[in-house]
Amino acid sequence: MKIKVTSVYVDDQGKALRFYTEALGFVKKADFSQGPFRWLTVASPEEPDGTELQLALNDNPAAKAYQQAMFQQGQRAANFFTDDVKGDYERIKARGAEFTMPPTDVTGSTIATLNDTCGNIIQLTQLKRYSG
Amino acid sequence: MIDRERYAPGPASGAQIRKDGEKWTLILVRELRHSPEKVWQALTDPEQLREWAPFDADASLGTAGATVKLTTVAAPTPHITETKVTRADAPRVLEYGWGGKEMRWELEAVDGGTRLTLWHNIDRRFISMGAAGWHICFDVLDRLLGGNPIGRLVGVEAMKFDWQRLHAEYAKQFGQT
Repeated sequence: MKIKVTSVYVDDQGKALRFYTEALGFVKKADFSQGPFRWLTVASPEEPDGTELQLALNDNPAAKAYQQAMFQQGQRAANFFTDDVKGDYERIKARGAEFTMPPTDVTGSTIATLNDTCGNIIQLTQLKRYSG
Repeated sequence: MIDRERYAPGPASGAQIRKDGEKWTLILVRELRHSPEKVWQALTDPEQLREWAPFDADASLGTAGATVKLTTVAAPTPHITETKVTRADAPRVLEYGWGGKEMRWELEAVDGGTRLTLWHNIDRRFISMGAAGWHICFDVLDRLLGGNPIGRLVGVEAMKFDWQRLHAEYAKQFGQT
């Protein structure tokens, strides 16, 4: 058993694909459609066969209410790990993304959060390395 | 089950696309050796749709004004949309939406059978996928009408039956490669 795919709800799959590829730098992995259903995933270019992130259309009223409440509370819908959170912050910000929190030291890691423009707060995490 | 295992789609044919501003329409034509009345039943009756269509309907599609829930099948997660039958002139013209996209079915009696034409307003990026998917669905429909149902082949299941080749052929025909 493997964790192969995880999902975030998005309000617009086309817009989400642009944001997750052009702003965040992921690459499109799967894009299939059957009628109104569209299976859309992205993966990290550092790990093209790694875990995929499904950009799932949020047309479910219950999920929409949950997503909006989580957004208003500033809760993260997903968390991506990086080796250089400050570099990613500068790179992603330069592409027009709005950060809700710049890189900030917390216990054990440095984190930043941003608005994915599709209804979610996303966290970037860089774990601290201890040399001692 | 043997017939299902033996099934292989023929070459891509009978499809064209039409562009009207930003609206793209896939047009598919298929000749069936069965009467329009019989084809009409297969297009509208939930029990028969279950045997060939890429969605399940919770009520007949054969009544104008009816509200019907369509559930996409064989997709990684179920997807339900509600549609309204906007036209049902049995056994000639059937119109309803699927996920906000319009579909129009026309049945024309031809020498001993029916010429079935589907206009499907579909996202430009998925036109070749739609053409390949409907191609296989129509093959299955043809066998169902002939009294030899092989079970529907849709979604990920269709991938095992040369869907990729069909998709590539339609993409080439539509100049989308």
